Amino acid sequence: MTPSDLLERMAATFKGEVGPAIEADYPRTQAFLSAVVLQKLAAQLRLAEAHGEAEAVERQALRRDLESMLREIEAPQTLRDAFLALAENGDDGLCRFIEALYGAREELGAAHFEALLGRVRQTMRRTLDRRMEYAS
Amino acid sequence: MSADSTAPASNEIAERIRTYIEGKLPGAQGLQLQDMERIAVGWSHETWLFDAHWSVAGEQRTQGFCLRRDPGNALLRELSDLGDQFGVLQCLEPTALQAPKPFWYEADHAVLGAPFIVMEKVPGTCPNPWGREGRAFYEAAAGRGVLPASFTDTLATLHNIDWRQAGLDFLGVPAAGTPEFALGEVRKWRRLIDASGHGPEPVLTDLICWLEANAPRTERLCFVHGAYRTGNLLIDDDRISAVLDWELQTIGDPMYDVAYVLSDLNREGSELLSNLVPRDEFYRRYEAATGIEIDEDACRYYQLLYAMRSAAFWMSASGLYAEGRSDDIRLARTAWSVPVVLERAARDLGF
Repeated sequence: MTPSDLLERMAATFKGEVGPAIEADYPRTQAFLSAVVLQKLAAQLRLAEAHGEAEAVERQALRRDLESMLREIEAPQTLRDAFLALAENGDDGLCRFIEALYGAREELGAAHFEALLGRVRQTMRRTLDRRMEYAS
Repeated sequence: MSADSTAPASNEIAERIRTYIEGKLPGAQGLQLQDMERIAVGWSHETWLFDAHWSVAGEQRTQGFCLRRDPGNALLRELSDLGDQFGVLQCLEPTALQAPKPFWYEADHAVLGAPFIVMEKVPGTCPNPWGREGRAFYEAAAGRGVLPASFTDTLATLHNIDWRQAGLDFLGVPAAGTPEFALGEVRKWRRLIDASGHGPEPVLTDLICWLEANAPRTERLCFVHGAYRTGNLLIDDDRISAVLDWELQTIGDPMYDVAYVLSDLNREGSELLSNLVPRDEFYRRYEAATGIEIDEDACRYYQLLYAMRSAAFWMSASGLYAEGRSDDIRLARTAWSVPVVLERAARDLGF
């Protein structure tokens, strides 16, 4: 039995046996919600490896595309510095890059800003789609 | 507040409340509290309802009370101060708006272990719009037509309040004709996100940057509730008997409230705004009662601000559980609500 299967079984127990056996409102609700949390965790855990691999590939492609785009334009140093930090700092680095991008909006001009942000959003959309597989 | 279950108050708390109330009623004799119940409401303060009976010089008196206590670890704790709530209710008392009459604010932790306010228990019910029974209630009320009108008229009354005359400027007044109000709200909710301990969320960063870059100017300042919807309104005989949940009120853009009414966040699959009001009727009635034209661009902006608020709210909620400050598993569940609201925000941002 995998860890995610175990969590699924526990969720089923909370939902089918523990919850219905409790009379008082508050603890009964807590039992049913425990089942929901365990189900979400199980799904997240089951998908974690595949999602992690997909995420790594996406981020690499993002960095490659942004590097190429930034090479073609005049971008402020703050944005270039934020780009260089992207490789090491995961989501935090991506947040800093987005902030730097908005900060450089006027200098970049609308077309370059939209192109760079559009590329970042493409990656964020794919990440969101993956998260929605277990969150929704 | 969305009342759906109740639990008895502990005897010790009931006695402390009784002693406190007695001390606040000069000449009161034989004060007794009856029908005391702690309502399991919403996500923020603890609320008790009870009736008090006493005599003064042989004359019997009765008053229903509602007591709200700050548990210290509640959601929106950083954004909502009971002293301010009490001040707001005092300011509203002479106005036309239906709100509970405030009696006392107690800041001394020694009385009930935390600050609390005592106000009037207003007749009415507050059906939970997220539950099956609540949705059925609002659907039936929509068919009768009285409550939808009352819902709209009450919002118009709120926005028509002369807030300077009422003394509500203590809440802070943003500069009219500038984006100060919207930017202030973004800062306020960002503080909650920063305090939540949640990890970085690039989509949220994009959303916040977009909100900062596109903040609308507020031309007309009004007193704004900040969470005007069914579930935060007490209803009696198909009319709003009191506007509740005075936690997020501010002086600002009336479109902030209107956007919340228009939002599909508050009407799970229903065509009716807040599960209650036909959109056209709301527009017509609200604009006629306030003289304010609904600005759909501003509303679209504020709906994105509500997405940020939702993300902040769920981050804060799940953070309370993760940090061990709450044992309520409802809060743990909200960790998975964060990507859901961010996904929605991304769609609204166009990706």
